[in-house]
Parts: sequence; C-alpha cells; structure tokens
Amino acid sequence: MHVVEIIVSPLLALIIGIFFLGLSRKIMARIHWRYGPPITQPVIDVIRLFSQKAFSHGMMFNLGIILSLAGSFVLILFLPMGNICPLSNSGGMLVILYVMLLAPLGIALSGGEAANPNVSIGISRKLIIALGYEVPLLLVLLTIMTRYHTISIVEIVRIQQNTTWALLDLPLLLSGIAYILILPAILGVRPFEIVQAPQEISSGPMAEYGGPFLALATIQHALSLFIGIALFVNLFLGGAGNPFTFFLKMLVVFILVLFINAALPRLRVEQAVKYLWRWPTLISLAGMIIILIIRR
Amino acid sequence: MSLDLLLIVAFSGALLTYVFGKISSKMRNAFGVVVSLALVVMVALLYGQTEEKIFYFGFLNLPLILRTNMLAWFFAISVSALGLLCIVFSLSYMKGRERGDFYYLMMLLINGAMLGIVFSGDLVSFFIFWEVMSWSTFLLISYNRGKALFAGMKYIIMSILGSVAMLIGMLSLYATYDTLNIVTLSTLISSASSGYLLFLSIIFCIAFAIKNAVMPLHTWLPEAYAEAPSPFTAVLSGMLTRMGMYGFLLIMYVMVGAARVLNLGPGLFKFNYILAWLGAVTIVIPTFIAMLQNDAKMLLAWHGIGQGGYMVLGIAFGTSLGVAGGIFHTLNHAIYIVLLFLSVAAVQYRTHGERDLNSLGGLIKKMPIAFIGGLLGISGLIGVPLTNGFASKWLIYKTLILEGSPFLAFAALIGTWGTILSVFKFLHNMFLGQLPEKYQDVKKSPFSMQLPIIILSFAILLFGILPGIPLKVINAIGVSFGFESLNVTFWGIASDTGALNTINIFAAVLVGCLVVALLFKIGPKATPIAQDDNYAAGAPVPKDKYHYTVDFYNPLYRMITPYLKDFIDAFYMKLAGWTQSLSNGVRRIYTGYVGHYVMYIVLFLASLIFIQLKWSPW
Repeated sequence: MHVVEIIVSPLLALIIGIFFLGLSRKIMARIHWRYGPPITQPVIDVIRLFSQKAFSHGMMFNLGIILSLAGSFVLILFLPMGNICPLSNSGGMLVILYVMLLAPLGIALSGGEAANPNVSIGISRKLIIALGYEVPLLLVLLTIMTRYHTISIVEIVRIQQNTTWALLDLPLLLSGIAYILILPAILGVRPFEIVQAPQEISSGPMAEYGGPFLALATIQHALSLFIGIALFVNLFLGGAGNPFTFFLKMLVVFILVLFINAALPRLRVEQAVKYLWRWPTLISLAGMIIILIIRR
Repeated sequence: MSLDLLLIVAFSGALLTYVFGKISSKMRNAFGVVVSLALVVMVALLYGQTEEKIFYFGFLNLPLILRTNMLAWFFAISVSALGLLCIVFSLSYMKGRERGDFYYLMMLLINGAMLGIVFSGDLVSFFIFWEVMSWSTFLLISYNRGKALFAGMKYIIMSILGSVAMLIGMLSLYATYDTLNIVTLSTLISSASSGYLLFLSIIFCIAFAIKNAVMPLHTWLPEAYAEAPSPFTAVLSGMLTRMGMYGFLLIMYVMVGAARVLNLGPGLFKFNYILAWLGAVTIVIPTFIAMLQNDAKMLLAWHGIGQGGYMVLGIAFGTSLGVAGGIFHTLNHAIYIVLLFLSVAAVQYRTHGERDLNSLGGLIKKMPIAFIGGLLGISGLIGVPLTNGFASKWLIYKTLILEGSPFLAFAALIGTWGTILSVFKFLHNMFLGQLPEKYQDVKKSPFSMQLPIIILSFAILLFGILPGIPLKVINAIGVSFGFESLNVTFWGIASDTGALNTINIFAAVLVGCLVVALLFKIGPKATPIAQDDNYAAGAPVPKDKYHYTVDFYNPLYRMITPYLKDFIDAFYMKLAGWTQSLSNGVRRIYTGYVGHYVMYIVLFLASLIFIQLKWSPW
C-alpha cells in the first residue's frame, strides 16, 4: 500500500500540474478574447522537447536540473493529497519548508554554470522575491503550527477535517487572508512574474535551456504550481478526505489565481518586495499576535 | 590514556615544531602534522572515560586539576580533528611565506590551549589556558600586519575586557567558597541565593559572549576573521570562537545547573530568556549585514556571528531538544565554516590572495574540488536537508515552535532565508557565471588542500544523513545536565509531536534523482559547448564584460542598506575616540615639564589667595 502511494502521488501531481499548465493557457486566451491552444498543448510540447537536440555547459548544468526536478518530486511525497501521504512522519512542515529550496537551488546551480548574465539576473530576482514572500509566509506557517501545536502537516489536515477549515477558524482568519495575498508571489504569476520576465531578461533562468532540459524545466514548473496550491489547500482549506475533492479545491484556487494573473501587469522587483513586506506582513503579524494572546 | 600526557604532547610538540623549523621546513611540517595526528588519536582514546587528576599543587595553594567527561570529550575531539585538517591545509598555503615557524608554533599552541580549556577541572587552569589561547590568537590575527594589526588590537581589547569579567567572577567565587574546583563548586553553588547566581551567570556570560561574539559584543569578529591568515581563520571560526559556547555550557549547566539557571530573574526578564533573545538578534542582523559584504571572508565572518546566535538561542532556551540542538549546531557549524574558509583559502592560493567577490567568477571548471567544498559548505550553512546544518536547526526550530515561542522561531527561520541570499551570492560570484580572462589558466588546488576539503565535505553529508552518530554523544551530555533523554536513532529523533527521519528523506531524494536522471537519458544526448557560448536574444554576450556580480541584489540593497549599519561598532569606535581625545587632553595638562607644574601650583595658590581676599571664607 505504502509503495503504491509513493508511486501514485508524484504521478497524480504531474498530471494535475500539466493539466493546470494547459488550462491556464486556455483560460488566459479566453480572457484575452482569443481561441487559445488545445488543453493538451503542454503534453505535446514536452514530448516534442524530449526529441529535440540539446546543448550542455557541463556537469553541474545537467546535475542541477535533475536535482531541481527530483527536489520537487520529493516535496510532493511530503504533501498530503486527500488521504494519500507517503512520507507522513519524516520531519513535517520544517522539512517541507526546506525541501522547497532544492528546486530553485538546482536551477540556480545549473544556470550558473553557463556564463549568461540573464540567468544570473533571473536567479538574483528569484532569491529576492523569495525573501519577500518568505517573511509573511513564515509568520503564517508559524501561526498555524502554534495554533494546532504540531509541526506535522498531516496532523494539521486531520485537525481541520475533525473541526473546520483553518480559513473559517476565526483566530486564523487574518493569517489566511495574508496567505491569499502572497499566493500569486509564491506561484510566480503576474503581478509577480519578475523571475522569468521574457520581455526583460530572455526568460531569466530558462535562457540557456533547450530540448530535454527545457522539457524537465517545464515539468518542474508544472509541479511547482501544484505544490504552491496544494500547500494552501492543505493548510487553510482543510485538505480533503480523498484525492478528488482535493483536486476540486485546487482547481477553484488555481482559477482564481489565473484571474489575478490576467488582470494585473508585472511589478518591478522593489515594488513587489515593498508590497510583500507591507500589508501581508502586517496582517500575518497581527494574526500571530492574536494566536499568542488566545494561548495565554 | 592520561590527561597530563596529552597536554604535555600538545605543548612540547608545539615548541619542538618551532625548534625543528630552525633546522628544516620539511621536518617542521612533518612533525607538526604528526603532533596534531597524535592528539586526535589520544583524544579519541579518551571516549567515554571520566577521570579527574590533580597535576600541580603549588599555585596560590590551589590545586590545578584536569578532568574529562562527555562534554569535554565532545569539544576536544572537534578541536583536535579540525586542528589537524587545518594544519594539513596549511602545508601548501604557508609554503614560501615568511615566519612559517612562528605560524606553526602559534597554531599548535592554540590547539593545545583549547584542549587545556576543555579538560580543565578548576577555574584557575581554565583561566590560564584561556589567556594562552587569547594571546596566541592576537599574535596570529596580526600575522599579516597592516590592517591586521588594527583587527588584532580590536580583538585583544575586547578579549581583555572579557578576561577581567571572568576574573571578577572567579575572585568572588573564591572569596565565597574558598575553592575553584568546578565539581565542588557545582555542589556548593546549588544552595546560593538567586541574586548571587544571577550575578555569577551575568559576569561569566559577558566573558563568554565576547568570545562567542553575541550581539552587542560581536564587533571584534568580522575584521579579525577577514585579516587573519585563512587556514587560521578556519580554526578561529570553527572552534576557537566556540570556546565561548563551551563556557556558556560550563557556567549555565555544569556549575549553576539547569534547575536553577532556568529560573533566574523575574517573570518575562528571566536570565535565559533574555539570553535567548540576544541570540535571536544575533541571528537576524548579522545575517542581513552579511548580504551586503563584497569580501568573501568578511561575508563568512558575519555568518560566523549569525550562526553563533543559533547556538546561543538553542542552549539558552533550555529544553532538552534546544540544548541538544545548540550543542549539535556548534559541531555542525565548525565543520561547514572550516570547509568554507578552506575553500576560500584554496581559491586565494591560486588567485594571488584575491577575496573580492566582484573580481572572481566562473572558477567551477578550474577548481572543481573547491567548488564542491563551497557548495556543500553553503548547503550546510543554509541547512539544506541531508546536510548536517539541517538536523541541528530542525531540533532548535521544533522546540521553539512547540514551546510557544513563534517570534524566536521566526527570527531563526528568517535568518536562514537571509543566509540563502548571501551565500548564494558567495558561491555564484566565486565559482559560477563568467570566468575573468586573467584566470583562464588557474590550476587545481594541490592535494594537501584537496584532502581536508574532501574529508569535511564527506562529514557534512555523513552527519546530515545519519545525525544520530553525534546526537548519541550529545544526548549523553544532555542527560548529564539533568535533561530528559531524547529518543535518538541513527537517522533522527522519534517523537509524537513530529519526528525526524533523515534516512527516508535520503532515500526519497536518491530515488527521485535516479528517476529523473533516467527520464533525462531518454532524450538525445546533449552536445557539450563552451561556458561562454550563450543565448542572449540575438545579441552576443561579450567575454569578461557581463559578469553579473556587483550589487547582486541591487533592488533589495537599495531598500535595506540604510537600516543595516553596524551601529554598535560605530558606537564603540566613537567611545574609543572619546577615550583617546580625553587622554590627549590629560596629556596636554600633564606635560612632564617641570615649569608647567610650577605654573599650575602658582596659579592654584593665586586663586586661593584671590578667593580669600574677595570673600574671606577661611
């Protein structure tokens, strides 16, 4: 049973992530008054990329991208998806927080071996924006861990299943709002699409990738979409009893994020950081203080 | 294995190395390595023993005592093993430099003094070894002269202040209890009043906080680290600074004892609580200052301060998990910071001492071993899972969250995210990006430099994947302090409120990498191309021109730079300036010229006569 879960959960995540990629292009097109590509377009792209020629800058260039994708797959094993959670008792939220590092670190090391300044600029932007949203995110996560008195995400989901969603749990409301405010930044969609920024820095970290490299990078992007939304669903929308409900909840959140993506233009780096360190941080700080007062 | 023999080997070995150096430098190098190796073996043989030995009676009628236990052994093995690696590294680094004999003498002397400190059974020998260590350190920091002299001066002034504080504490203890034996004191002290214990804890902690560079007593550290010769910086950052941690443990948990020290002071202003907050401040501010540094060693030095904050936070929080995390982090920090400084030293060795992050770049292909050292070092420093830093930080975070201190936990976690930014800049600007033309034919490091780097890299992964190996020893230390025993396994800690299982994470990462690598193999084989053969949307990337390093996080710098000055250092320097001008003023009065003194006396008498004539008060 356990082994089946370990195989099934990354596959499910992969399918959902790729589906989201296709769906996003379709919905964005409709908002733009276009017809848009078929929903299977990302699958076609990945298969095509795998058959194309690629150029490598060296050992770290290959290893980095492998590490990045592997890191995303490992992270999925820690996230409960409905009742599926293969690595439920190996370190909890703290490990999740840190394993989230592997993916950007891998891309950064891989891209760094090429001497392309666009890649370096992209990585520097990624790290800045990550520091920007980590401040409110950490406050939110600490609040929720203090509230439920556990560091295990499975436990957090179980408590919500037995009582009510964290978002509807009044003391956690502010933290939930802060999380919603930073969700686009975590997912890297507009107005926080400053890492890739195709018009400014030739897609940043992706600039040197082609063929199978780009295919792996695309899959990694799909998985990171899945991870960002799944974490929110698990922490604030009560997770789910089965994978299907879980998927439905994710779908709703994703479509809402897409609307934001379609409506807003890209911010500059310091505008983004200033935004993240102002309202979301203040709200999440207030949320944490409320929880501390209640505990006393 | 007897303790006095160990110290005799350490100190006579240091002196003999100096003597051999006068004969031939090869003989000196070989002997230095043999002495440090012998020390490692002798310390390793002491594992698990508890022994107390009086080795000298006559000093002020006080017996000088050596003793060993788990805590002493833990620090001693780290000191001697890392000392050996740094000596081996020095073999090529010091080749052809002047005053090599002096350098080796001081390195070995410091090594011996640190062993003396941890094996001391009474405060007098503790103090003697402490001073030997401090003064030898001063001499080695100033080794390079120039700016290094100033750095050394700053260090020794603060160090003397610390020693004075310690001396006051010792005198007070001797006056009260008439003994300075640590074991005897720890039983006598348990009946002392809270006020006296608070005084003792504060006065000793000032001494140790200076050595451990806890804010606001950290200002000696950045320049001292940056200016000292690099292999010695490794020793300085890895173990010597952490003698302060040993001191904290000694005063808080060995002498005063966990039961008393965690209840000193009123309510929210408990002694250990304030110390924990100082630790948290020490984590956050230096980590963000590190982000602004452009000097490789300066950047690491600020992280040295920041990581010290984690250790202090862990042990000051005073839960069994926290103390274990704090002690474990001391070891882990020693391993990765030594590795990082050695990697910088390896790069410096091949680039004529260059440590400006804006002038390096692209060395990954030229110096792969140094790159691996740097990569694993920064992974440990960040605490990426499966490296050693993760395990110890996990322990600290967990106890902070579960004991209801989310603000302390937030300080610790946000410190980590600041660390990521600065150390990635460190790695990127040295090893990734464009290779400057002038370093086109840089060669690999020599073997005696590669060996310590490889060993330390391996240690980082070993303690990251199997943290249980050191944690078993640390757990024994914790139990000897009177904390409850942790449920330690080889791959982590079992617990109801969230367990750690590194072997699961390791297996998952391994399988994940293999699966993705297989997926990668399906595609056509990638054609290797040169590093500078890049895509730039149609425009060529000129060589040597577009290395994105200066102001790596420019938008962020513009936001945070105004807030991140070392105000404390500025204040101390101003204080020093005032003292100097005051002394200058005094010197202008006390000129040493008799005529002036006569004039003062005449003026004084004249004013007296004037007062008497005018108001006739007498």
